[in-house]
Amino acid sequence: MKVIEAENLSKTFRVKRKEKGMKGSIRAILRQQTEEIKAVSGVSFAVEEGEALAFIGPNGAGKSTTIKMLTGILYPDGGKASVLGIDPAKKRKQLAYQIGTVFGQKEQLWIHLTPYDNFRFFGAIYDIPDGEIEKRIGELSDIFELSGLINTPVRNLSLGQRIRCEIAASLLHRPKILFLDEPTIGLDPVVKENIRSLIRQMNREFHTTIFLTSHDIGDIEKLCMRVIIVNSGQIVLDDSMEHLKFIDDSLEEIIMKIYQEKGREQPAV
Amino acid sequence: MRKYAVIYRSVLMENLQYTVNIILGFISYFLIIFVFINLWGYMYAQPGTRIAGYTKEQMIWYVMITEMVWFSAQSQVVSGQASVDIRGGNIAYLMNKPYHYTLYILTRYTGEWSIRLPVYAGLAAITGAAMVGTLPKFGLPAFFASAASILLGITINGVFKLCISLTSFWVEDAKPFQWLYNKLILIVGTVFPIEIFPEAARPILKLTPIYTVCYGPAKLAVDFHADMYFEILRAQILYLAAGVCLMFFIYGKGVKKLYVNGG
Repeated sequence: MKVIEAENLSKTFRVKRKEKGMKGSIRAILRQQTEEIKAVSGVSFAVEEGEALAFIGPNGAGKSTTIKMLTGILYPDGGKASVLGIDPAKKRKQLAYQIGTVFGQKEQLWIHLTPYDNFRFFGAIYDIPDGEIEKRIGELSDIFELSGLINTPVRNLSLGQRIRCEIAASLLHRPKILFLDEPTIGLDPVVKENIRSLIRQMNREFHTTIFLTSHDIGDIEKLCMRVIIVNSGQIVLDDSMEHLKFIDDSLEEIIMKIYQEKGREQPAV
Repeated sequence: MRKYAVIYRSVLMENLQYTVNIILGFISYFLIIFVFINLWGYMYAQPGTRIAGYTKEQMIWYVMITEMVWFSAQSQVVSGQASVDIRGGNIAYLMNKPYHYTLYILTRYTGEWSIRLPVYAGLAAITGAAMVGTLPKFGLPAFFASAASILLGITINGVFKLCISLTSFWVEDAKPFQWLYNKLILIVGTVFPIEIFPEAARPILKLTPIYTVCYGPAKLAVDFHADMYFEILRAQILYLAAGVCLMFFIYGKGVKKLYVNGG
């Protein structure tokens, strides 16, 4: 069963442009110049239930923009998206109950509260009954080994501990799809491996579909069954990990070749 | 509603860690009140004088109540944070949760002022009783009417400040608009009652948030009349309804224009 379907998905941003120097600044007041940047251009793909997909590409390729359209944060300019049969742009709130998101560079936890208080908070946000919240906090605390830090304010936790808590918080409502945007960024190799095994466990035990973007080859190789590479807003490769293993080059070499084939003149979007 | 109650509780838990900041705010409040007690003491040099229909005690209590509202409603969440969220793209990570972003921000704002207001109210009551004396007409009806009006006034203030912040979807920086709004409330609204201004300016001032945020609640406390209460309450309800509609409209339009930097 397909849980994510994107058909000719497109997004264009209008970006301000200014000539250099003081003259340029004065001219910009009188006449604003803008330029259209095609962040995502006619992207089509589908993801099966329980699949672990790596959606990768160089900076500015359109990965995060695609994730944001699939989670209902951005409105597409063209094409269609369907996540668990829901149009994300029209029913973002309804979709939010069924998906989880972890953005490695953004914190969703309240840093002055403890992980326990944060979990209670997220449980209530997702309308989970009180008794059930306690049960799920207990389960996730065991899986993610949080018992020693569950009552420490988040601001006092290490980055690795925080990411574990972030992922646990995003799984509290048992999402069918987990969107992970660079979840291991800035972590040391041991913690990275720990996080990967937890994500793998979620995928196997709960059949959670994983939609991962990462610049880390280890994340992709160890977690994903399939790789989609985007560049300049378009899909340039969509293949299974099994098939890619038969190619002489390593995954890293394949990715580097594809990244270098197309220019990166567009700003990051 | 349960989720907003939990957001509110979480803000209370978070803000209780900043009691020192609240106590430091007392110094500014006390200094302003001290200046006005002396200023109005000089203006009311002759016993029994009335200015714009206010006795000296009423005038000082008026300033104490409006300043109490002003200090309690100070919030980075509705003025700065919402703007920063929109301009920096953090809104993307807040709006993909099953709550309405604007109500989330307003709930956080409510959590903030509901800690500050009782503390400032206590400080105002002690300072006023010790340095000015009690108000002769202040009874239970005036207490309940002004308390309800203060709560509505602070909420209206938050809704309008959030509306200004939401313009960040279109403008580079909403701070100048926040500055104008703050100065309008602080300089025109909290210091003088509307009756002090020329008659021609009063109808205009009654249409501004000054009437519903500052003047109304303070006027009810210093000079309570039932018919005035209903007039102010009607104005506050209309203002709140219009503000909330405007807030949802701006947010609905703005969120479709959202541009979020990725990586």
